[in-house]
Amino acid sequence: MRVAGLFSWGLLAAVGVVAYALQALPGGRTLAFALAVGAVLGLVLQRSRFCFYCHARDWFERGNPRGLLALVLALAVGTVGYTVVLGSWVPVPTAGQLPADMHIGPVSWGLVAAGLAFGAGMVASGSCISAHWYRLAEGSLVAPFALIGSAGGFILGFRTWNVLYSATMAEAPTVWLPAHLGYGGALALQLAVLAAIAAWLWRGFAHEAPANVAAAHGVPRLGQAWRRLWVGRWPYWAGGLAVGLIGAFVIVRMRPLGVTATLGSAARALAQEQGWIPDRLNGLDMLAGCATALQASWLTPNALLIAGLVAGAFIAALASRQFAPRWPTWRDAGRGLAGGALLGWGAMTGLGCTVGTLLSGGMAGALSGWVFGAAVFLAVWAGVRAQAWQARRAGG
Amino acid sequence: MTAALRFHRHLPTWRDGLYALALGAAIALCGTAFAATPVPQGPLVTTDWLAQNLDNAKVRVIEVSVNPGLYERSHVPGAVNFSWHSDLNDKVRRDIVGKEAFEALLSKAGVAPDTTVVLYGDTSNWFAAWGAWVFDIYGVKDVKLLDGGRKKWEAENRPLNNRVPEPVATTYRVASVNTQLRARLSDALAVAEGRSDARLVDIRSADEYTGKVFAPAGVPELSVRAGHIPGAANVPWGQAVREDGTFKSAEELKKLYAAAGIDGSKPIITYCRIGERSSHTWFALSKILGYEVRNYDGSWTEYGNAVGVPITNPAGTLWAAK
Repeated sequence: MRVAGLFSWGLLAAVGVVAYALQALPGGRTLAFALAVGAVLGLVLQRSRFCFYCHARDWFERGNPRGLLALVLALAVGTVGYTVVLGSWVPVPTAGQLPADMHIGPVSWGLVAAGLAFGAGMVASGSCISAHWYRLAEGSLVAPFALIGSAGGFILGFRTWNVLYSATMAEAPTVWLPAHLGYGGALALQLAVLAAIAAWLWRGFAHEAPANVAAAHGVPRLGQAWRRLWVGRWPYWAGGLAVGLIGAFVIVRMRPLGVTATLGSAARALAQEQGWIPDRLNGLDMLAGCATALQASWLTPNALLIAGLVAGAFIAALASRQFAPRWPTWRDAGRGLAGGALLGWGAMTGLGCTVGTLLSGGMAGALSGWVFGAAVFLAVWAGVRAQAWQARRAGG
Repeated sequence: MTAALRFHRHLPTWRDGLYALALGAAIALCGTAFAATPVPQGPLVTTDWLAQNLDNAKVRVIEVSVNPGLYERSHVPGAVNFSWHSDLNDKVRRDIVGKEAFEALLSKAGVAPDTTVVLYGDTSNWFAAWGAWVFDIYGVKDVKLLDGGRKKWEAENRPLNNRVPEPVATTYRVASVNTQLRARLSDALAVAEGRSDARLVDIRSADEYTGKVFAPAGVPELSVRAGHIPGAANVPWGQAVREDGTFKSAEELKKLYAAAGIDGSKPIITYCRIGERSSHTWFALSKILGYEVRNYDGSWTEYGNAVGVPITNPAGTLWAAK
């Protein structure tokens, strides 16, 4: 394990060297920032095992609320952070005016369909797209199938886009809560809803045995504290707090967090080259979200964020001895591809995934983020119930 | 004896006097260094000059960038943001912002008749130059471009922040509207049909000019014909600037345009695709060289779509033909 430790230090140094080199390029400061933030995010996601699907499943199957409470915390912290930043960008929010680049999309039944598909994709493939990225760094060989499947799902999404756009999205309202309630009103409403959800989730703790309150007292030595960072997993709340803070910090220097733009752009470039999708995707590039516009270069902030995320998660997995490559079975591959296709279609149609639309949108006060999130969790709930029913039938 | 007592008993000495003198001199020096310097003659200000005049109450800095989100993340300290989409364009007509809306915009930005307005933006001041053209049409007296725009300011590692200023509002009134700075379709057609002696300058890329492409990469096609207005000279806008985004010298510019037959002896009309980039060349020709220039803001998207007008298309491309 000494070798793994050295390797993770080496990789960390390599990320630093690349970040330094990037600064010389045009827009280099933002590129270096994206890589560094991505690495921190990857480390946080891996260490706290921040996973929308696992967190939701823990609640629906076992009534364990910790993961979903961490999501609520991330949204609450991020909402406060976004309010501070956006309040300086658009001092007086008015209807018809949106802050630049924020993931505030149209609210339509197309968005609900996207959320349901994305949720079903999470159930089938075992996690959402952000978790597949960090699992890739843990040596999961299912994740590549899910990501390839997602690229395929994006292409399906581009094929159905024009019909859906005309049928539902073109005239759908784009609701930015601060434009209707003011920053204070929107913040109060969002925090109240999150508090209500948290109170409801808290019931889950009633099922648990009384905690062992005889926790160790005293301050651990520095070495012990350091080692604890790399053993097991961080508390759920640490993941939620860190993701909320990163989400809010990121918008000051780059676009809001999103983990599908690069994948979507690559899928679009490939599909367009092959003539699989229409030349013109009506209105798509005018909408806010995880933009899939064709990129002239791979050196975009979003691509570097993803590269950093995978590198950071890899460093964390090595340091915590959780890098465990596992060969997939045919069933894994099939589930990865099929679930990925649903994830991709949902992320394309919903203009982002659980990170881009739910987290970044929700933090910005976009109604679309909340609607997408509700649809995702509804689908996961149904999926978990269906799995349990199937298991009972098989068992019985 | 306690420290407080020692301090209490401390009496000024000749050394304290020297310190005070040195401090005073330093403050005076800094004051001189940061004092507002006179507004330069001519249509441009340097990054150096602007850096020294950020606190000058008579200067209002305004960013007009193409890309949304740039200003919000960081801008020249104290700069106001004008969106070219929603502030400087009419939201319904295809037209520049109306007179009343322009007055409201400048009033909100705290511009008074004696204010020096400094415009700057991304992509070497494309849309900042377009802003300068709009300001000129509405007769704003003292309008200048920050030479090199955002590109040079950032390259020199000068300060940026993301605070939105709250200028004291004024009541700005437009005294006169100079429509002579705009060319219309009829003016461009008159040149194409030989009924006018004005000279046309097409500032788009050589591929757009020759009709090889209908629009630059990544930009939607907005015209069903490719090519250019008959008789137009092609001088892409980028040839007017140096690597750092600043305008070339007047001598260099004179040579550049003279080589394309544009020497200022005849009135000039500049155009591009939608009429914004051509303002950059309008600025160089009219403000730096002092030629008589009009900007055709209908540009190729209007001319290339107009029925019954002649075009020149050396590449022979046909729209929607496979």
